[in-house]
Amino acid sequence: MKKAKRSVLIADRVADHTITIGGILVIVAVLAIMVFLIQQALPLFKAGHVTSRVAYDLDAGSEPVAAMAMDEHKTFAVVLLTDGNVIAVHAKTGTRLSSAAADFQGKEITSSATTSDRSSMALGFSDGTIRLARIDFPSAVIPSSELPAGLHKLDDRDLTDGSSVYSRVPGNQYRHISTEIRMEDPLAVSESGKPIVALDCNAGGEAERQTRAFVAVDSNGLATLNTAYGSLNLLTGETRTTVEQTRLPQIPGGVELHAVALTPASGMVLIAGKNGDVYRYNTSDTNAPVLAETTRVLPEGVDLTVFGFLLGGQSLVVGGTDGSLNIFFLLDRDAANTTDGRMLLRTREFERGGSSFVRFDPSPQGKSFAIAEASGALKVIHGTSQKTLMSFTPDSGVAEYRRILLAPRLDGLMAVGSDGRAHFWEFSVPHPETTFGALFRKVWYEGHPEPTFTWQSSAATDEYESKFSLVPLIFGTIKAAFYSLLFAIPIAILGAIYTSEFVHHRMRSVIKPAMEMMVSLPSVVLGFVAALVLAPIVETWIAAVILAFFVIPLALITTAYLWQLLPLRIALRLEGVPKFCLISLTVIAATYGAYRMGPVFEDLFFAGDFKSWLNGSRGSPEPFLFLLFMPVSLIAIGLLASRLRGSRRGDRPEARVHTRAGRIRPAMVDIVRWLVMLMGAALCSYGISRMLGSLGLDARGSLVDTYVQRNTLVVGFAMGFAVIPVIYTIAEDALNSVPEHLRAASLACGATRWQTAIHVVLPTAISGVFSAVMIGMGRAVGETMIVVMSAGNTPIMDINVFNGLRALSATIAVELPEAVKNGTLYRILFLAGLVLFSMTFVINTVAELVRIRFRKRAMQL
Amino acid sequence: MNTKVSEIDKKPKHIGGSVLPARGEPFLWVMGGTLAIGISMIIGFLVLIFWNGLVTFFPKPIHVLTLKDGSLLAGEPIREEYYKPGKEQLEMLDAATREHIKRAQGFASRTLYHTGNFDLYNEDYRWVSDYEVAKTTLPAHVFFIERVEWGPFIGFPESLRAGSEIISKASVSYGLLNAQHHEAVERREQILRIERSDIGKINRRIESERLALRRAALKHGENSNEYRKVSAKYEERIAALQGEYDKLRKEAESIKESDSQYEITLRDVNGLEKTLPLSQVVRLYPANGLTSFRKLGVYASRWLEFLTREPREANTEGGVMPAIFGTFVMTVLMALAVAPFGVIAALYLREYARQGHLVSAIRICVNNLAGVPSIVYGVFGLGFFAYIVGATIDELFFPERLPNPTFGTGGVLWASLTLALLTAPVVIVATEEALAAVPQSMREGSLACGASKWQTIRYVVLPKAMPGIMTGLILAMARGAGEVAPLMLVGVVKIAPELPVDGFFPYIHLERSFMHLGFHIYDVGFQSRNSEAAKPMVFVTTLLLITLVAIMNTTAIHIRNRLKKKYYVGHF
Repeated sequence: MKKAKRSVLIADRVADHTITIGGILVIVAVLAIMVFLIQQALPLFKAGHVTSRVAYDLDAGSEPVAAMAMDEHKTFAVVLLTDGNVIAVHAKTGTRLSSAAADFQGKEITSSATTSDRSSMALGFSDGTIRLARIDFPSAVIPSSELPAGLHKLDDRDLTDGSSVYSRVPGNQYRHISTEIRMEDPLAVSESGKPIVALDCNAGGEAERQTRAFVAVDSNGLATLNTAYGSLNLLTGETRTTVEQTRLPQIPGGVELHAVALTPASGMVLIAGKNGDVYRYNTSDTNAPVLAETTRVLPEGVDLTVFGFLLGGQSLVVGGTDGSLNIFFLLDRDAANTTDGRMLLRTREFERGGSSFVRFDPSPQGKSFAIAEASGALKVIHGTSQKTLMSFTPDSGVAEYRRILLAPRLDGLMAVGSDGRAHFWEFSVPHPETTFGALFRKVWYEGHPEPTFTWQSSAATDEYESKFSLVPLIFGTIKAAFYSLLFAIPIAILGAIYTSEFVHHRMRSVIKPAMEMMVSLPSVVLGFVAALVLAPIVETWIAAVILAFFVIPLALITTAYLWQLLPLRIALRLEGVPKFCLISLTVIAATYGAYRMGPVFEDLFFAGDFKSWLNGSRGSPEPFLFLLFMPVSLIAIGLLASRLRGSRRGDRPEARVHTRAGRIRPAMVDIVRWLVMLMGAALCSYGISRMLGSLGLDARGSLVDTYVQRNTLVVGFAMGFAVIPVIYTIAEDALNSVPEHLRAASLACGATRWQTAIHVVLPTAISGVFSAVMIGMGRAVGETMIVVMSAGNTPIMDINVFNGLRALSATIAVELPEAVKNGTLYRILFLAGLVLFSMTFVINTVAELVRIRFRKRAMQL
Repeated sequence: MNTKVSEIDKKPKHIGGSVLPARGEPFLWVMGGTLAIGISMIIGFLVLIFWNGLVTFFPKPIHVLTLKDGSLLAGEPIREEYYKPGKEQLEMLDAATREHIKRAQGFASRTLYHTGNFDLYNEDYRWVSDYEVAKTTLPAHVFFIERVEWGPFIGFPESLRAGSEIISKASVSYGLLNAQHHEAVERREQILRIERSDIGKINRRIESERLALRRAALKHGENSNEYRKVSAKYEERIAALQGEYDKLRKEAESIKESDSQYEITLRDVNGLEKTLPLSQVVRLYPANGLTSFRKLGVYASRWLEFLTREPREANTEGGVMPAIFGTFVMTVLMALAVAPFGVIAALYLREYARQGHLVSAIRICVNNLAGVPSIVYGVFGLGFFAYIVGATIDELFFPERLPNPTFGTGGVLWASLTLALLTAPVVIVATEEALAAVPQSMREGSLACGASKWQTIRYVVLPKAMPGIMTGLILAMARGAGEVAPLMLVGVVKIAPELPVDGFFPYIHLERSFMHLGFHIYDVGFQSRNSEAAKPMVFVTTLLLITLVAIMNTTAIHIRNRLKKKYYVGHF
């Protein structure tokens, strides 16, 4: 035996390995898409993780803490004690850094408040005065060459000169940060000089003309709303502050005050007593405040422990001694028994703590807040998603915290214990606002009267939160797919049956490749034509379009009955192309007829103007209901009639043979029967519509409503157009692969071609046809450009055919290029991609399995 | 068939008339009707695209309308339509017109005129209802003047200034205008050549010097000797380049100076005048005075401009050459990527893997992936290719350009790889089917002759399967060329300043973003100032894209047929 050449063997071995490894790699790579999408979307559902934790003694005596502040980079932590002492430390190590103490001339701070953006604070004193203050952290980036000498090291990032800090930043540069505490002159607020016991403040206006509003309550229970206007003198650079004061109506005596809260635009002041009573003042007219509502936010016998707004001043966080934690909104309610028609309502309930929540700090960024229990356990929670982002318990048992502070970028939490120890955790929560519930369930957003599914991904300001419900997008996808399939399935499948069973094969060899070519038609072209050509036409001729849905089938059926009048000989001779031409002519004529009759139809049914009829401003609901029920009743009557005829025929089989009468008479009878059926259906649907109309039922407001130009009807047409060739090609293939002997056998038994097609061919090929529909559905679900261009992209959940929609695919295409890499929106769009992927994967798998079954069955036949 | 018919005729008894329902005629007609609707939709669609695409560039006559309120208006009629005038509009009309509209069931007809002169009137398209028009004329000497900026001007040439000589209205003829315009265009081209290509070259060299300096800084540190050496050289070279730059700049300035001597003054129908440099005119012709031959000339020159020039005016005018080129490069790169991998995967599945449940499960998955929405591939391409693979490449090879991404953002390479992934299932399925169609006996014969497995595949199976593979590949290319959604995520842009292939090392710039015909349609149709002004351009681009895809599809069929013949002959 001759031995094979070595090179051949080597080539064989190499090819073996290359192809096996390469092949497996390619398949793995293709399958890896899903894994990658999951991996990208998964961090959305994860809570945060701690990156470092330290604890150190602050040396703060036993004075209560009036205020705390921290810079954005978590370099400094500044603690202001009520006696005016200021403790500044390096947050990460606890190293004490020098800073000037504030001089309060022996007065004690009795209450304090910080604005929600932490730009300024108000301090209330024992003598009834208030001082507005700021703790700033001026920073500048300097190159390493300008670093001063004599610095000592704090940690691997930071250096200090004793009072300010130099942090290394990328690019061989340093950031110089220092602290600066500015106090403004005292403002006398309490007339009687009583100590201020509760305070809240807010900042507004622009940099040149800043306004700061604060509400203060003194120990007499006198509440005042003050607005401080600072005007910058451009010549001297000085700020002058003028204060306007308004007294709020007296709160009832005997109320032990707990806290006071003020909304950003000073429209509302809330004063809360320790027992949970809340007095709400409507101060939108600052000169005439009114006590609008008195309510309780806690059950009887439970005392208030936490009371304050989240960023934006719309969510009121309330905690009680029973360990409960709730969020309240101020909402318009008809049932509200208040002077302004609005009332405080509990909208969100959080998990109860082991003990009551006692300390609270809202984040200056987003809707998160930190909360501390009496037992010393700490949590960081997102208000909207209700996700517990972090929870901490200090190692040493802490009796109670004097104060807690969230780092400005929601990446750290500092708590000062009553024992003078400061605990500082650094953590990272990249996606606080997303949970499964926030993405897929109804969420009660701030300012909304009820829980909704909302998609609003772009946030204009910090205070406004993005809303990420995927449900409207999934709804939009399904709505677009549904209407396009409603249009495509009948045309594609009936067309396929006609092509495969009733058309000459030469004609088929023209139609089929043409349809196949249409499969690869770029969808951007369809989208463009739909949006810029079709949509305006449909808008102008909407009545004619609706009419066409009725006129075309009726015209076809009527012509078919007339065709039956033709002598059989002629009919058979004209079978094929001439008949198909006649059918096409009928369709064209019917379309033209609908176009001509459109205005008349609009006058008769929609009071002359379809769009204002849709808005409900004119016309009655009955005509549309009549149209809606017409096909239903026609089909019902048709079925009933064939049922009756079938049973009668069973009794008298000989009745079928009308011999000599030839063809004309039964055809005439058929026509009459058809007309009677039509009349019956018309009468029937008229009756139904009158009845439903008198019951007050109206399709307007649900199924049909306000018309927008780029609507679901247009999308249905365009996407139907994209899907028809797909369904048609696969369904035709399936019908065509039904073995010829089945047809022959059926025809030989005396069945007509119609009977053969419907009772033999279609049932055999039904699984193939089904898989064609599924594949078409897969394409409709994932189609992007058509929906981007012609659907209007409004993320609303509305079944109205004449309204737009926003699909998952369109959202991804439009928003992903602008999304920040690894940000929340970015990951949510990956999740949307995953949802889309899963939807089509399931649909396609079903189609594929059915098709494999069909193939096996067809092989057996 | 004939015998059957005659039989029926002879004995009608056996075919009872009342079997009529069994013939299902009405249902048949409905079925035929749906097919007719489907076909007429396709035909209507193609006619719409082709008609609009083909007539767009044909010079239209310019109508000068005298409206009933006495104002004048000149423009090209674009299209007519019926519409329903609003209530307020109706109330302003006189009784006769109102009566007329009422008789037409509330409809009136109107015509859209392309009036141009956007800089004068702030609108360039205007609907004119038929009842508004008092008189329509077609003056022979009204000109249609396409400009580099502000869109076309419709009006009369008033005077021409060539240097110190001023040619007055009376002696401005079309021939003279044409000759002068021709020279002006040459000057414009010259300026463009200097500014774009020559100065561009210098800028590129400056940039590469800067990057070399930065690379040295990153590698050796800024205080090292190497860096100082490079830095000294850098200063020297930059100075030299700056000198060249100034020279070119001066040259361009001098041409511009002489160019500004040639100006044309135009006057529109209402007497408003506008003076502009002649070189700012792209094309001018007396719309109503053109012979058919001249019209064809304008038509051809517009097509030439469209196919070979760069876009102007936010893509709504000019050409689409960069988009054609981008589409082409992207599709070719995609085919290069998908062909070997698709074929290898199919070979593995069909020839190497043990056929069992696992392989059929994989096959179902692959089939499925062909149905996964293209946008999902785009998401994957952006997240994986651009942001993970690309960012890694940047860190390893292009640290001097950071933080500006090189490969770490969308580009033609990532776009073609994404589309390769998208079309891989198509190629795999087609190749597998082609391989399966090769009879087992041929393999066995080859093996029996002593050929190794690879030899069998290489010399027997693959050639036989080639037609099928080619078809699959070309169909994949056709799909890839028409796909837009994933490209929006991985590198397609509105206007690409540079082509992905040019004369500078390394010639093929895979990291560059590119323009694409499909995206051009979306962008021009939806992101431009006036969708009406953009429509003609979109129609022509659409025509081009459809033709491209259709050509690819037909080629696929053609190649399949030819290869089929060839290999049948070769093997038997």
